[in-house]
Amino acid sequence: MSILIDQNTQVLVVGMTGREGANHTKAMREFGTQVVAGVTPGKGGLTHEGLPVYNSVKDAQANHQIDCAIIFVPPAGAADAVLESAHAGVPLIVLITEGVPTIDMMRAVQEVKQLNAASLAEGGKGIRLIGGNCPGLVSSGLSKIGIMPNKIYSEKGRIGLISRSGTLTYEAAKLLGDAGLGTSTTVGIGGDPIIGTTFADVLPLFEADPETDAIVVIGEIGGADEEAAAEYIKNHMKKPVVAFISGRSAPKGKRMGHAGAIIMGNVGTPESKLAAFADANVPVADTMPQIIDLVKQVLNK
Amino acid sequence: MKLHEYQGKELLRRFGVNVQDGKVAYTPDEVRQIAQEYGQSVVVKAQVHVGGRGKAGGVKFSPTPDKAYENGQKILGMDIKGLTVKKVLVTKAVDIDKGKEYYVGMIVDRNVQSYTLMACAEGGMEIEELAVEKPEAIIKHRVDPVAGLRPYEAREIALKAGFQGNLNKLADMMVKMSKAAFELDANLVEINPLFVGEDGVPLALDTKFDVDDNAMYRHKDLADWRELEAEHPLEIEASNYGFAYVKLEGNVGVLGNGAGIVMTSLDVVNRAGAKPANFLDIGGGARADIVYNAIKLVSKDSDVKAIFINIFGGITRADEVAKGVIQALKDGILTKPVRMRIAGTAEEEAKALLAEVNSDLIQMYPDMFQAAEAAAQEANK
Repeated sequence: MSILIDQNTQVLVVGMTGREGANHTKAMREFGTQVVAGVTPGKGGLTHEGLPVYNSVKDAQANHQIDCAIIFVPPAGAADAVLESAHAGVPLIVLITEGVPTIDMMRAVQEVKQLNAASLAEGGKGIRLIGGNCPGLVSSGLSKIGIMPNKIYSEKGRIGLISRSGTLTYEAAKLLGDAGLGTSTTVGIGGDPIIGTTFADVLPLFEADPETDAIVVIGEIGGADEEAAAEYIKNHMKKPVVAFISGRSAPKGKRMGHAGAIIMGNVGTPESKLAAFADANVPVADTMPQIIDLVKQVLNK
Repeated sequence: MKLHEYQGKELLRRFGVNVQDGKVAYTPDEVRQIAQEYGQSVVVKAQVHVGGRGKAGGVKFSPTPDKAYENGQKILGMDIKGLTVKKVLVTKAVDIDKGKEYYVGMIVDRNVQSYTLMACAEGGMEIEELAVEKPEAIIKHRVDPVAGLRPYEAREIALKAGFQGNLNKLADMMVKMSKAAFELDANLVEINPLFVGEDGVPLALDTKFDVDDNAMYRHKDLADWRELEAEHPLEIEASNYGFAYVKLEGNVGVLGNGAGIVMTSLDVVNRAGAKPANFLDIGGGARADIVYNAIKLVSKDSDVKAIFINIFGGITRADEVAKGVIQALKDGILTKPVRMRIAGTAEEEAKALLAEVNSDLIQMYPDMFQAAEAAAQEANK
């Protein structure tokens, strides 16, 4: 068991014939992911690298059992693609696109949550959105639904990884791999202010996963998601958690690349995040390699 | 994109908000002319993209056209936090003693994944000061992102906040402000002060407006309002290249692939005892020409004494990065020491390419700490 995805997950690539969609479809298949179809409006009926392409998510859903849709649609149509997938009943939606307007995300996230509640009320699987502006998720050695480099996720380990940053998940996964610990599942939740799944949403899944022994949370400045995660850990988690905060030397009021990485007034400061983790007894690494020392320490307790 | 007060007021006017009359002036003569036209006391207000104009002397009450001219002379050309005042807004003055000032604003709030509407009976102050001094006085309300703010909700909020005046008109102003926020993709919109005079009618005396840069494609008319002179010249050049770039006050140029890794690179440079001169994310999948431009940009910054390059290639190919660096060296653009760490996709190819280059300017290190340490040492020499 891994969380959210495994080797049996059937994946639909929305925007498959675009440049990014095509490149990453190839890389995901090389990893071993079961990509079963693609969607590109207007290109229905064609095949791409031997896979059928449909005009809509609904059409694809009618011909395949889709467990997850990964979206590579440009910003102006990205939220619409999320809603199309959600209304078609796809249980897991991964939005890779960066630069989606905030209001589009507010509306999409709210609607997905309503559809999720309705699905669960009817005894369905629910509907979950991960991202946008995220690298996706990987169940090491089994399935990758995202844009991470394949090499660092080839072997299964027992550490869960959640991060707002793509590059830092690669960095952390490599460090964990080199140290012989390895990752169970990695979830990149995305660097935007409004995202579908937060740290606090992923933590209970790792808590319940018998193949995860400890969790690494990689946060950054901006917002209060790390504080919410700390609160959740304090009240609900039995498994050990180690954290890292990026952007500790960033100046206030400047957006550090990620739309969500900005300290506004007294919100989103590294001090507040460090204090929250301290209060939850979560050790915070000062540097990325120190994550490994801390993980080893908490595992030996 | 931050807008000036007069631009924000123009947008609110388009949505039917009752806004204090005002006109923009570029010279003291124009200031006098507008004051004469209004035939009453006016306020001359500096239009610059920084807070704290009032404290800096950029907002002045002017009872006569001559006084307005004099104030225009004082304010135009003055320096507020490093920005030169090039234009002023001349507005009709109101007698603040004959009414009350309030605050209303809407901000994107990630905690509720929508806008939060804030209302407070203490107007005129910055909301951040209000939040510190009187947090209990600020009424907060999550606005439904699909339905928007409904009039009954606005009335409830106005009552809770203790607003006095024509309740329907107060609520109407809040609803219209909310529509403006949604339709114009505002990250933030504020009416502060919201003035209610003896007639009970609300009037917007000042506003703040910040539009989501990701949504500018659907507000092309607002794009003309972007004022490049207000940004750092290197930030303008960076935006032409499509880089996420922030100018900082330090001596080590920092570039990497991805916001997270660059943010962490800044932290690492700090730990190594130097200060980053910039944040530069070349993005994912950057080819050699992009890297070349990035080095060109960072090298132009005279504060930069050394460059720290930190690459963990996923979509980005390390050999493309190496090619960009080598080309910059060949063309004489790379003139400052580059200390780099390069890992990930096509790492071996990149290392082979860089090993062929025999120059003291470029040195590779096995991890980001050693590379940052070396860059810091070079910069601090």
